[in-house]
Amino acid sequence: MVQPQFIQELHGIVGKENVISHPDDLLVYEYDGSIDRGMPQVVALPASAQEVSRVMALAYQQGIPVAGRGSGTGLSGGSISPPGGMQISFARMNRILKVDAVNRSAVVQPGVMNLELDNHVRKFGMRYAPDPSSQRACTIGGNIAENAGGPHCLAYGTTTNHVLGLEVVLEDGAVVRLGSHSETPLRETPGYDLRGVFVGSEGTFGVATEIVVRLLPLPASVKTFLGIFPDIDSACTAVSAIIAQGMVPAALEMMDAVTIRAIQKTTDAGFPEDAGAVLLIELEGLPEEINGVGDHVEACLWETGAVQVNVALEEAHRAKLWAGRKSAFGAFGNIAPNLYLVDGVVPRTKLTQVLAEVADIGRAFNITIANVFHAGDGNLHPCILFDEREPGTLERVIEAAGEMLKICVAAGGTLTGEHGIGLEKKEYMPLVFNENDLTAMRKVRDCFAPANRLNPGKIFPDGQPYQPQSHRATPGMTV
Amino acid sequence: MTASLTDQLASLVGGAQMLPPESLPGYLVGGLTPEAVAQPETREAISQVMEWASRTGAAVAPWGGGTQQGLGNVPARLDLALDVSRCNRVLDFQPEDLTVTVEAGITLEALQRQLSLGGKHLAVEAPQPAKATVGGILAVSATGPRRFAYGTPRDWLIGISVVAADGSESKAGGRVVKNVSGYDLNKLYTGSLGTLGVIVEATFKVSPAPLYFRALIASFRSNESAVNAAQILAKQSYAPQGLLVLNHVAAGQMSHLQIKEVLRGAEVGQALVAAFFEGRDEAMVQGRLSSGANLLGSHGAGADSPGADFIDVVHLNPEDSSSLLAEATDVGWEPEAAPYLALKLNVPPSAVSGVVHAASQPLPLGQTLGIVVDPGFGTVRLLWRGSPGLGPASDQRAHNQAEFDGPVSLESIEATIDRVREFTHEAGGTAVAEWCPLALKHRIDIWDGAAHGEREIQIMRRIKEQFDPAGILNPGRFLGGI
Repeated sequence: MVQPQFIQELHGIVGKENVISHPDDLLVYEYDGSIDRGMPQVVALPASAQEVSRVMALAYQQGIPVAGRGSGTGLSGGSISPPGGMQISFARMNRILKVDAVNRSAVVQPGVMNLELDNHVRKFGMRYAPDPSSQRACTIGGNIAENAGGPHCLAYGTTTNHVLGLEVVLEDGAVVRLGSHSETPLRETPGYDLRGVFVGSEGTFGVATEIVVRLLPLPASVKTFLGIFPDIDSACTAVSAIIAQGMVPAALEMMDAVTIRAIQKTTDAGFPEDAGAVLLIELEGLPEEINGVGDHVEACLWETGAVQVNVALEEAHRAKLWAGRKSAFGAFGNIAPNLYLVDGVVPRTKLTQVLAEVADIGRAFNITIANVFHAGDGNLHPCILFDEREPGTLERVIEAAGEMLKICVAAGGTLTGEHGIGLEKKEYMPLVFNENDLTAMRKVRDCFAPANRLNPGKIFPDGQPYQPQSHRATPGMTV
Repeated sequence: MTASLTDQLASLVGGAQMLPPESLPGYLVGGLTPEAVAQPETREAISQVMEWASRTGAAVAPWGGGTQQGLGNVPARLDLALDVSRCNRVLDFQPEDLTVTVEAGITLEALQRQLSLGGKHLAVEAPQPAKATVGGILAVSATGPRRFAYGTPRDWLIGISVVAADGSESKAGGRVVKNVSGYDLNKLYTGSLGTLGVIVEATFKVSPAPLYFRALIASFRSNESAVNAAQILAKQSYAPQGLLVLNHVAAGQMSHLQIKEVLRGAEVGQALVAAFFEGRDEAMVQGRLSSGANLLGSHGAGADSPGADFIDVVHLNPEDSSSLLAEATDVGWEPEAAPYLALKLNVPPSAVSGVVHAASQPLPLGQTLGIVVDPGFGTVRLLWRGSPGLGPASDQRAHNQAEFDGPVSLESIEATIDRVREFTHEAGGTAVAEWCPLALKHRIDIWDGAAHGEREIQIMRRIKEQFDPAGILNPGRFLGGI
């Protein structure tokens, strides 16, 4: 339990104005982007790795568990404070320290926003490829913790494929370098790949205080297709056909009828409101190459039953399509006040089957489901739209979501593609991992955090399901 | 008298899974001969063997194709080589999902052949693909000339199963291309040199197979201009998938006829750029190749021009392109002509030119030095070979220190390693000794762990202790004596 003395000492480390301890002020830190909730006892906002180190050391001495927090956009409870714990917010550590065009890398602080980094490096002719839909708000530090994905991960891989090195602070305050150093970016370093295993450890190994990221050159040209389909089955067939024919687009996103109508009510993205599903497909590369592949993609769309195919060559048209895609989650507020987003993965050839089963669950549980997801990766995002004011609804939604995850696993898939296990899915872990698997994972955690003070109670099943709370879908919400 | 290890294990897993004594010399590690070699047919048998080893304290060297067993420190102990090459099935190939699950003993060549039947390939390269196994490739994180485009094996591995030191099997990841369920132990096992467990199964993302493959060789008057030109090429939108620079010694040691042709009459100091282009459309591959050739051959003085040291560029036909790639992948790992000293430098790409320049200055080891550079990735490999009186160093065939009584002294080799590390560290990089004389292995840090902080190495040590508390898996071979 946090004592007044502890808060005093935090004042001494980060300054009184950078410690939040009044219950009214702490309300903001109770949530993440989903339905988990947990009130921190105190939040510290350090400005440097040294301050983070001192805060961590202090919390360690006092036995206070810690959760790191970027922007709080996570969807599995990764930044939710453990009971009786504190949060370290990285809101003040938000500088891009270096962009190295020659070595195609950048050094950033954890609180830098994903889109801010990407926009910044574009000035140098490069890009930061992982682009979670929440990229306008989410931070690189949070992306590291969750191994965040995004539409363009289909071609370029998730966060882990773009991290060269990390400076991290461990539970006892020790500052450790993992992988490449900041001054001289290296693709490989000898020894165990600690940087690799740290990415996606959901804040249980340590908190990143400096990150060396790999940048990619901007594509020479981009071509975006909107394939319009009468139903979701034919759109799924198109996805399978595109992948099976040896084309791997930069992004391949699907939106179903419910999603399309919700989006079009909010913003005109150019999605026909009577469509059963649309596919948003992006190709990147040399102009002559994407023209060639583009012809194949287009043929594929027609062959699998598209009723219309639109091509966006102009940046403005592309931006409009993507703005529609990325506004989907906020737009669901037009349909129902509450949203629960399920993240599961299946083999791409199982999309049609699994989506049909998801729809069956919707009917069985009498819930509305919208689908907007990374089809090219087989990464489903059924969105359950509901009204928490109806008694018993939330429980029904959670149960339905659990059934969907079981379907994903039964189809050869997994529990989460990009949102993490956290609090949300820890009790489902035995669906995919046996005790041996979980023991191996716990062993690694014990090497980084032997006292288990960082995000305790997350990832591993412990028979203590967290009490989820409804969260309202709002127009600003992006996932 | 107690039964021999072979007999003990034969009674456990059956004699058919143990190799006869005459096989033992083929399984040397760091000059040590194992007392027995197990070659299990099933992963259950691998588990049984490891369970036995943990019970008896026998030290085990996991073994794939044996192509990179020269890597690492001399093991502290060696009792058993555990050859997994008979567990070599493709378990689940889903061409339309672009995934494949295999047993770890399959060779890269056999895997690629299976994948090609479905029009796919694995974007992983390794020297001696006909011998190198998937498990071994993962254990050493092997790469090849296309690492610039392909990355390293960690970028393609999505699921893994490992038999731990105590014989228990565990897995991480899965069979889908995107997965953040649980910790990403795929990354931990990749590159861990068999010190944490025996890899028995792996699942990879695969890619549509490139249908067209073409290479070009460009010659330059100096290493510096070749590196410079290659780095400019690497920045282009039409950059090749693979890119190497070979100094005249490294090029001269290659047997490829096109290389010999290009080098004919060349003065000392000449360097070659080899660029490899691939794709699924012939015209596009041809287009990239032509653009690449034009760029390398441009004589302007602009910022984007390679400059005036260009001599010639040769386009290779498809067969010659493939054979050049194969030979370039094997450089430094040839089974019959391994270098006596090979240093692999990882440096930032911006430091490649300076490092190559420093390596070209006189070094304590007055022998001719082959330099093979991946300028886009930041890998510089320095290869010393063929000195009179000097056999290959740390591999099975010559581990006798007496062989170093020739013109090259151990002291000069050590001084050379020191000197190379000095300028590599100045450039912010690391220099791992891929090959070095056995007698030196006890005196130098093979892994160049100096770049790591103490706390980082401490975490690595803890991981080793957690996964292998009795220290029976390749004990002592890895960084920091892990």
